[in-house]
Amino acid sequence: MIYEEPKYLPGGDRYMLIEFGDEMNLELNFMGQSLAQAVEENGVEGVIETAPCFASTLIHYEPEEIKFSDLKSEMRSLIETLGPSEDIELDSRLFYFPAVYLDPWTKEAIEDYCAKITEKEWDPEFIARLNGLDGVEQFVRVHSGTEYWVASLGFWPGLPFMMALDPRCMLTAPKYNPPRTWTPEGTVGMGGASTCIYPVATPGGYQIFGRTPVPIWDTQKRFPQFESSICLFKPGDRVKFVPCAIEEYEQVAAQVAEGSYQYNLVEYQRFSVKNYKTWVESLDTGARF
Amino acid sequence: MAEEVRTQTAGNMWKVLVKTGDKVKAGDVLFIMEVMKMEVPHEAPIDGTVMAVNVEEGQEGLDADTVAVEIE
Amino acid sequence: MLEVIEPGLETSVQDWPGRLGYWNQGFPPSGPMDSWSFRLANVLVGNEPGAAGLEAQYIGPSLKFRRDGLIAVTGADMQAKLDGTAIPMWESVAVKADQTLQMAFAKTGARGYIAIAGGIATEPWLGSRSTFHKAGVGGMEGHALKKGQIVPVGEGHGQAGHKVAETARPTFPTDKRWEIEVVAGPNDDWIDEAGHKRFLGSDWKLSSKSDRTGFRLDGPDWTFTAKATDKAPEHGSEPSNIIDQGYPCGAINLAGQTPIILVNDGPSMGGFVNPYTVPRAAFWKLGQSKPGEIYRFKAVSVEQAQAMAHELRQVCSEASIAK
Repeated sequence: MIYEEPKYLPGGDRYMLIEFGDEMNLELNFMGQSLAQAVEENGVEGVIETAPCFASTLIHYEPEEIKFSDLKSEMRSLIETLGPSEDIELDSRLFYFPAVYLDPWTKEAIEDYCAKITEKEWDPEFIARLNGLDGVEQFVRVHSGTEYWVASLGFWPGLPFMMALDPRCMLTAPKYNPPRTWTPEGTVGMGGASTCIYPVATPGGYQIFGRTPVPIWDTQKRFPQFESSICLFKPGDRVKFVPCAIEEYEQVAAQVAEGSYQYNLVEYQRFSVKNYKTWVESLDTGARF
Repeated sequence: MAEEVRTQTAGNMWKVLVKTGDKVKAGDVLFIMEVMKMEVPHEAPIDGTVMAVNVEEGQEGLDADTVAVEIE
Repeated sequence: MLEVIEPGLETSVQDWPGRLGYWNQGFPPSGPMDSWSFRLANVLVGNEPGAAGLEAQYIGPSLKFRRDGLIAVTGADMQAKLDGTAIPMWESVAVKADQTLQMAFAKTGARGYIAIAGGIATEPWLGSRSTFHKAGVGGMEGHALKKGQIVPVGEGHGQAGHKVAETARPTFPTDKRWEIEVVAGPNDDWIDEAGHKRFLGSDWKLSSKSDRTGFRLDGPDWTFTAKATDKAPEHGSEPSNIIDQGYPCGAINLAGQTPIILVNDGPSMGGFVNPYTVPRAAFWKLGQSKPGEIYRFKAVSVEQAQAMAHELRQVCSEASIAK
């Protein structure tokens, strides 16, 4: 649900977590992003940085400059000035990302986890079973059947947290217990109802089931999309995964290695929350692809 | 006089590769410690026979500078 | 200029307060884990407390000086020697060109700090010289020091023979037990009363699978309130699963049943709850503890935690230096 009043929770001596709700809802992400933007535009004294996510915004503040209670008042006032998220319209880039689903690399990582840490079901089968799907083929159809909204970046530099825009493609699965110690670079994974792409090999807790050869992090800035940042994504971007075979993965990887890869990026669209909500209301959300 | 091979760091005893009586050459890895998810191998300083192994594989929370293996 | 003769286990350039302003792209602050020792080392050599210096972990480096300078060694006792002769810690020491500083294993504590007058002068990256070694960010070419590298140093002004007053130095326990302050939250309402009592009343052992990205603790299980079980499915079904949220640096992150304290290079965001957070002023304890040592957590308020940080800031200044 969307809370009547946001919650202002302390994080140690210098963090505040502002929770807008407790569900996966695009409007909650907009609230979190809008607050972060408003903080930046207004320059709140004592605030060092903000980190919005799906339904919350984390504030890092300097306690020598502002007290928790004063920061809470400031945030409350700012939140009141934010217009209804219904009216939001913004430029939204759309990336097409080829990805091998049910790939051998994530399978190997899972087998390694089973051998060294604890037994578990192969992640695609696990997710399919938990969500009442026919099997892994249907899982691939459903997962890849929607655009994903980049709600925020975090966990590792450049890693996008994404949510399915088409409610007919919403799936959920628990995170690993305990987490993995490594994940192949470019892995596509899912935890709760969030989808992510691992920019490099890192530990992780998401269920894993696919791999993309397209770089989302580039310290060398070899491609024009990294001109202003070494992280590819910004909140408000959308990603469509296009299932492909290993041969295509390898072709793309070769192009990436030689620097000739062309990002498949659509840059003329505007995302309208109102239109999105109207569309969602028209759907039979119980149906599956 | 036995040559003492001491732990170079605090950490866990990840692998013990020798037992009493083994013959080793200088440079052979005797044991590997683990700290900060990194492996720290410890090599034999001389050729000789392992006279004592004072540590166990899996042992946790060792101090640095403890005598782990003795070689003569 | 410093030449890296031996890099040590993992030695890196850090500055304080680290890399700020990029949390929303996933860049952690990095910086020194024991900022108490780090800042005082800088003050000793006449630098700003936050100037770039070196953090050595468990096994210290050997560094050759290419020109005359002034250094100070603080934090863990890594038996620092200059050309084979022991030098005092917590004191500014003159060094001459071609002399070599050798540091060995940490006898007490875990992390040693080396400040040099003028500060380390690597290119800042996203506003900071701090190193996030695992991600290849900052420091010397993105990583911890490597053998053979030449580390640039700025122009410094300081005097030898300055000492940190004994009472201004952190003291490490001799019984391998640490009391670590924690503030409840942000997600403390996910843990039931028995769970809170158990957390605060139990010994927690530091696992050797701990590093600058996270300190893993071994101890009893956690028990949860209804908030952790009666929730929308998109959180993930395990009790500690939550819709991904920003993580405070210092959060005790409950990955399943394993608490991992998120430290200087830790993740900025994720899908596990954080029932408690270690305040910044207690980080030095984390930085100086070793695997196998025991933590006992003590709950303090936000205000108490802030007062601790304020007090520490006063200590990390000229006021603590005896000349």
